[in-house]
Amino acid sequence: MIVVAVAFVGVWELVFRLGIWPPFLFPGPGAVANSLYDLWKDQVLLRAIARTLTRLGVGFLISLVLGSILAFLMVHFATFGKGIQPYVLGLQTFPSIAWVPLSLIWFGFSEAALLFVTIVGSLFSVTVSFADALRTVPPVYLKAARNMGSDGMDLILRVTVPAALPHLISAMKVGWSFAWRSLIGAEIIFASVGLGFLVSQGGEDPKLFPQVMGTMIVILGIGVLVDRVLFSRIYEWASRRRGLIPSR
Amino acid sequence: MKGAALKLVMVGKQFKGKTGRLEALRDINLEIAEGEFVTIVGPSGCGKSTLLNIVAGLEEPTTGWVEVDGHRVHKPGPDRIVVFQDGAVFPWLDVRQNIQFGLRVAGVPREEREARVDEYLKMVQLEKFPHARMHELSGGMRQRVALARALVLKPRVLLMDEPFASLDVQTREEMQSVVQDLWLRSGTTTLFVTHDVREAAVLGGRIIVMSQRPGTVSAALTNSAPRPRTLEDPTVLEQIRRSNEILKAEVQWSNESKAPL
Repeated sequence: MIVVAVAFVGVWELVFRLGIWPPFLFPGPGAVANSLYDLWKDQVLLRAIARTLTRLGVGFLISLVLGSILAFLMVHFATFGKGIQPYVLGLQTFPSIAWVPLSLIWFGFSEAALLFVTIVGSLFSVTVSFADALRTVPPVYLKAARNMGSDGMDLILRVTVPAALPHLISAMKVGWSFAWRSLIGAEIIFASVGLGFLVSQGGEDPKLFPQVMGTMIVILGIGVLVDRVLFSRIYEWASRRRGLIPSR
Repeated sequence: MKGAALKLVMVGKQFKGKTGRLEALRDINLEIAEGEFVTIVGPSGCGKSTLLNIVAGLEEPTTGWVEVDGHRVHKPGPDRIVVFQDGAVFPWLDVRQNIQFGLRVAGVPREEREARVDEYLKMVQLEKFPHARMHELSGGMRQRVALARALVLKPRVLLMDEPFASLDVQTREEMQSVVQDLWLRSGTTTLFVTHDVREAAVLGGRIIVMSQRPGTVSAALTNSAPRPRTLEDPTVLEQIRRSNEILKAEVQWSNESKAPL
């Protein structure tokens, strides 16, 4: 992983030194690092990261709650599920940026508007993949648990969720990437603080062009980190407990 | 028979299929006394698992009803615990947690829970693996967990749905003696469904032979020979022979009656 990053920077520097494009169009690693350092020094970067991650956390959490309710209803009431499935699938592929104008009409240039885009951008993916995860639970587990007196919410928490856990975690991982893309997209269009805003701000002033690439790298880094460190670890832990992947 | 622990009255079941109604069970009458071990044997598709599900309250009968201690049952309850074919032990829990499951649902206080789990862990000889996960256990050990998980709830009736069908022959015979042992010790009223005539004969104090679809009771054989019994006991061999005769006649009869179609 590290090797790839070093090689990438090396090739980048090489191409930069070949001087095919003027430096302001194609800044080298040095200029980008400088710009990131400036952003860091003034605490702009940290504040942007904090704000963006807060929005993401809140938005994704709401999307998880709504998505799990919807998914549960779809699986539990099969007729309802069948009826709503094509729309949910359609909305899942709907580009989240296309929600931005509507969001602005409804909520104005506000945090709520950013949250709205994050939520609708990820909700349907969360719903579809949660529903798929719930459908993997072998009915005999539910039968056995009901037989031992478990029912309703108790059954969901004691059996359905733990039985589907590895799949639910993969589903969250997919949902997270949808939320992340939607939020950054929306921030680029209309936020005044945040990582997306730093990208769009850098694009408006030729002196700040390195900031565009710098912030993109930060966005990529966060994505890789969340995926590798957070979700992959939790998934491995849950799967290993079940013997779905060999123990180390 | 007065004071039957379990009573089935005119139980019938029909399924609505695409090609019309399918009659799975017809007019099953059965009384099982307190502490009895009854096996039900029949060809596959005779509705014996459906019958067990109805007793468990996991399915509603189309006609008739089921009584436990004189009370009709309509839904699942911890007084009738099923041991399923593949055990249905929970892979996200370890051995102890699996056995505790029903007790936790019932809200049994921690101390009593732990004590009872210890007792039943020993009873099924899994006391050395309290924290093993299900994928680390053999098929036979998983069924021991399922048995302990069921018995720890002290059900009025233990229902077993072909619990050893997917085990190899040796393990199956070992588990049969485990079940016999547990029954001798606990005296739990047991209804055991199987398609294996030998299993039905070695375990059953009474053997109910069922006909092909729609499932009805073809015969009931009694075997009061002392336990523990093995497959070599003369009375068991005799029961196997008789059950096989009945089943063969059943199959022939049903094939002849279907032939003109």
